[in-house]
Amino acid sequence: MAATNVGSYEHSTAKLHTVAIKRMAIHAIIFFCFIGLWEFGSRMGWLDPLFYPRPSAILHSFWLIYVENGNIWFHLYATMSLVLFGWIAGSVLGIALGSLVGFNPLVRRFLKPYVIVLEATPRIAVAPLLIAALGFGSMSKIAIIMLVCFFAPFINTLSGVVNVNEDRLELFRSLRASKMQVLRKLVLPDAIPVIMSGERLALTAALSGALVAEFIQRDQGIGSLILVYTRNLNMASAFACIFTLTVLGFLIFKGMEMLDRYIAFWKYEEGRVRISQKRREKMKGTSHVG
Amino acid sequence: MIHPNMAAIDQDVVVSGLNVGKTFAAGTVIALQDATFNIKRGSFVSLVGPSGCGKSTLLRLVSGLITPSSGEINVHGTPVLGPRSDISMMFQKATLLDWRTALENVLLPTEFQRTLTKADKSRAMELLELVGLKDFAFSFPAQLSGGMQQRVALARLLQTGADILLLDEPFGALDEFTREHLNIELMRIVAEVGATTIFVTHNITEAIFLADQVVVMTSRPGKMAKIIDVELERPRALSIQTSVAFNKLVEDVRDTLEAV
Repeated sequence: MAATNVGSYEHSTAKLHTVAIKRMAIHAIIFFCFIGLWEFGSRMGWLDPLFYPRPSAILHSFWLIYVENGNIWFHLYATMSLVLFGWIAGSVLGIALGSLVGFNPLVRRFLKPYVIVLEATPRIAVAPLLIAALGFGSMSKIAIIMLVCFFAPFINTLSGVVNVNEDRLELFRSLRASKMQVLRKLVLPDAIPVIMSGERLALTAALSGALVAEFIQRDQGIGSLILVYTRNLNMASAFACIFTLTVLGFLIFKGMEMLDRYIAFWKYEEGRVRISQKRREKMKGTSHVG
Repeated sequence: MIHPNMAAIDQDVVVSGLNVGKTFAAGTVIALQDATFNIKRGSFVSLVGPSGCGKSTLLRLVSGLITPSSGEINVHGTPVLGPRSDISMMFQKATLLDWRTALENVLLPTEFQRTLTKADKSRAMELLELVGLKDFAFSFPAQLSGGMQQRVALARLLQTGADILLLDEPFGALDEFTREHLNIELMRIVAEVGATTIFVTHNITEAIFLADQVVVMTSRPGKMAKIIDVELERPRALSIQTSVAFNKLVEDVRDTLEAV
């Protein structure tokens, strides 16, 4: 009986494996059909190569901007450092203000209308004003990014801090925890997952913000590079830049997911198992020494 | 329970209430009316009754989480003015912190009072062993079943070192088998630590099975209708529930509940 079970289990995993391979194959076929059709259509003159460059031309541009000329690296570095600085500054501001407002019911009440107004306003519209106020340069660029990515951490921190589980609060009260202990041992850890999801949104927004900032001040960065290539009708290179941003966006998404798995580990089975093991070893270590 | 007037001279009384009342919504809702009681050291008291009879309110009043609208509650001879160290409460939900291991959850009450010592940690380990979770000390709540989570909450309750334990339907959300099993363990554990226990439930069988005294409560307004002594021998096995004496007690509780 047991042997049959094991057999059928192995059988089913093997089956699952083939299903996965089949699915991947179908994805690959669709992708290459699409690329092939695009290339073919472009060569046949159905697509205007001026606006829709061939995949082969885009591939060639990748070679040019990354290897032969290598000119994208400087701009990539400029954009990424801008995103990083803006994101960190915006997050710090968002988390700080979010906690401040969250912990003060009075501040919350009087600040609420402004938050609603700010939320309803497309924040990118303020970008030209910021440049006017701060002048051209990195300062105004970072200010634009802060403006677009400040909001998600702010709102999420606020709701994380305000929506404390009532049962847990009662438990803490019955155990005579101080206000500081409630904050450090309940409110903040409880808010971490929500804050993290706000940070994920913020980082994606920061990338868009950086591009807009670079569109306006065409001095450096991927945004200005795209602008330059488009004006010179070098669409293949513009596309190569756009696909670079796609990869960057994907990496940001994955990176934030990894960060979330690290910081809010208890939400993931893999994280729980890992930390559980760690704590067990730590306890063993101390008892061994002591 | 003994007559309230005897409280003053009876050293054995650890929790007492005199004409305790609680109203909500500016006096329009009477949650509890005129509760007078004395609970002896080391006894197990069940509060049983339908929803709205004020049993949870009474428990929260004793815990100090809420204050009475009238009357007075005394614990160890001093009035209850707020949560205190000699009283500890367990809720229907385990209310564990997801980001802490079972051991770290058990240690929480101690962390509020002082910096943890090695002795605190080994005490917490012992308590986890007492509730049968020694091998799960480093597991996170999400890795434990509902019954195991309540066991952790029970260990945390004991970690406080309080000698008066208040349990508000602690196993009410669990399935019948798990609950029966945990009830037997609860009896063993409170006997072992020598605590005075007040246990709230709406299950008549459970109330009688566990207790030395059953307080039957009725609703609208919530009040104590009758106090029934349970003189069944300890330790008790589940089979006792089919005995004649046990069923007489069940009948008594039912009659009291139906009389109003």
